[in-house]
Amino acid sequence: MSIQFEGVSFSYFEDGKDTIHDFSTAFDAGRISVLTGVSGCGKSTLLYLAAGLYPRNGGVLRAGKNLVEGQDVGALSPAERCRLVSMMFQNPELQFCMDTVRNELIFCLENLCTPPEQVEQEMDQALDFCGISHLKHRTLVSLSGGEKQKVMLACLVLIRPKWLLLDEPFANIDNASAAAIAARLRQLHEEQGMGILAVDHRLNHWIGTADTLYFFRDGAIAPETMDLHHPDPARLEQAGVIAPGVSYAPNLAPAEPGDVVLELKKLTVRYGDRAVLDGVDAAFRRGLIYAVVGESGCGKSTLFNALAGVCRYSGSALLDGVELRKQKKKHLGRIGFVTQSPQDQFIGGTVRQEITASLRENADAGSEEILRGIHLWRYRDVSPYLLSQGQQRRLGVAALMAYDCRVLVCDEPTYAQDRANTMAVMDELCRAARSRHAALIFSTHDRQLAEDYGDVVLHLEGGKLHEADQSRS
Amino acid sequence: MKRINPAVKFVCLLVLTFVLAFRHQPIINFAFFALCVVGILSSGTGVKKLLILLSPILLAAVGMFFTGYRFSAGGGMPVNTGTMILTSSHVWNGLIHASRVLAFAGGGYLYCLTTDRVLMIRSFQRQFHLPQIFAYGLLAAWGVFPHMMQEYRRTRAAFRARGKNPFPVSPAFLKPLLVKSVRWSEALAVAMESKGFDGHEKRSEFEPVRVHWFDWLFCAVCAALCVVMLIAF
Repeated sequence: MSIQFEGVSFSYFEDGKDTIHDFSTAFDAGRISVLTGVSGCGKSTLLYLAAGLYPRNGGVLRAGKNLVEGQDVGALSPAERCRLVSMMFQNPELQFCMDTVRNELIFCLENLCTPPEQVEQEMDQALDFCGISHLKHRTLVSLSGGEKQKVMLACLVLIRPKWLLLDEPFANIDNASAAAIAARLRQLHEEQGMGILAVDHRLNHWIGTADTLYFFRDGAIAPETMDLHHPDPARLEQAGVIAPGVSYAPNLAPAEPGDVVLELKKLTVRYGDRAVLDGVDAAFRRGLIYAVVGESGCGKSTLFNALAGVCRYSGSALLDGVELRKQKKKHLGRIGFVTQSPQDQFIGGTVRQEITASLRENADAGSEEILRGIHLWRYRDVSPYLLSQGQQRRLGVAALMAYDCRVLVCDEPTYAQDRANTMAVMDELCRAARSRHAALIFSTHDRQLAEDYGDVVLHLEGGKLHEADQSRS
Repeated sequence: MKRINPAVKFVCLLVLTFVLAFRHQPIINFAFFALCVVGILSSGTGVKKLLILLSPILLAAVGMFFTGYRFSAGGGMPVNTGTMILTSSHVWNGLIHASRVLAFAGGGYLYCLTTDRVLMIRSFQRQFHLPQIFAYGLLAAWGVFPHMMQEYRRTRAAFRARGKNPFPVSPAFLKPLLVKSVRWSEALAVAMESKGFDGHEKRSEFEPVRVHWFDWLFCAVCAALCVVMLIAF
């Protein structure tokens, strides 16, 4: 029982460089395997190849083949393939095609030609196994990221593939949900003999759950592996992996608390009858870095969406004493937003336009200086969508900071980043905030990151913000 | 109305609307509109919500009334008023135009507000033999729609964060949305395939949408309405 790659060379473009070149290895179904490596090294591509989704849905397989249980997955139909190998994706938003949890599970069972009389029973068992029976009739759009991943797990429980492939399944969900999913995965592996291969940068939830850690470097698996029941923190740090208890050790200038720049008074956001934010009171000072932590679905993204004007709120949010909703046109831009995906921030057609859009005067010279500073000058005439994710993040932050930004609000800025990129993104954001004496508010599921980078750690629970820690202010 | 088979309801309302198109009697149009409103209200839609939804149509109806009122025959209009829309009565002509707007919109609202979208697609798939790849593609696109609205607001926030506030349907807004929608459709297609959906292979059908006796009854009522419209007036 194994997944085997035999001399696989794969490229996303006909005339492009190979993302994976002459790759050969085998993963054993008897152990839960986790594959790690730096961002953009081709780990996810490998997983898509193993799932038979590539080259069917993109890219070119130049040489070699990959076999799952001895079968060429690329040659199987989707219905045959999903019984053999199925996948849980990184982004919980884009995994479903129906409107409710129940309809999505029915969709999976219908694909498998399940007899109608068995559908309800199988559905209830899968929901019960994942601990989400109460979500059966909920619409998918109303679920949090963690809940969506649990629904996806329920789909996979129904499909019962021989191999389960996971592409950073815990990237954007809270610790409690991640721990619950990890425990269920172990159970599926032990009770049903399901082979599990995951790709991840964060090992918190794999330690104790998975068996073997593989390091993916330079398009090949490193010869040395690690037993995840006895991890070596020093080696993990050396490999650029985010492991629990390993400090990020940021090198930041000391905080200089200034005046209150953003004040929230009884800020409330409701989705239907449910108050996601229930009278949030908080004051944010210039020069300080605030980390917001909380369980999945507690309202972190809702809080940031309310500040961004993406969702409506009652109560008040005062920026320099003026209600956010009533900001004058000339004051727009005093509050900047860094989104999970840097692409959400782009407004220009080229890298240079992205910067000049923020500059009111001397745009040409100013943009050149900024782009040279972030090492993107040579890409000035390229579409920002064609940059790598790390470059996109640098551009997004630089573009916001080029404007007269007093508060920088960042929703999960280190989403799906490896340790090196996480530190690079946070260092950049924090340095920019410190140098501008701006208030930086960021959310994260990584408690270590919150404690290391936040001057103030705020815990969002029960629709209210509580100060959890004040480490450096 | 919510229990009526969506495919049957679609055909019946389409036929009724088609018949209405050839009748120029405000009484028939108003009566049809009133029936639609009764159907909508009896299906659980609140009066307030309905009024809000109907407000643009009511406004259009008022506009059409005055158009018909102003441009009726007799005032130098080179139109034969013998049989068609324009008559010598200003008010009557206005009422014909206004009531047609209400009648056609009423039928549309009745269908939209009393039909579950998933049920509708499944019904079209079974009764009209809509290809499953098209049916589930539509459902997936609907699932993305709330995200599109959210993304629109996010893009708007991104512009405001740079001190810009472009026109709501400016191409600057739409370009990032287009890029994202292409990426989303790719991700969704891959996710659906990973769950065993092919678009061509045989699938089982849980809760098939069938045509029941009350659907036939609805057909009969609609047919009777057609006869009344054609003969009685």
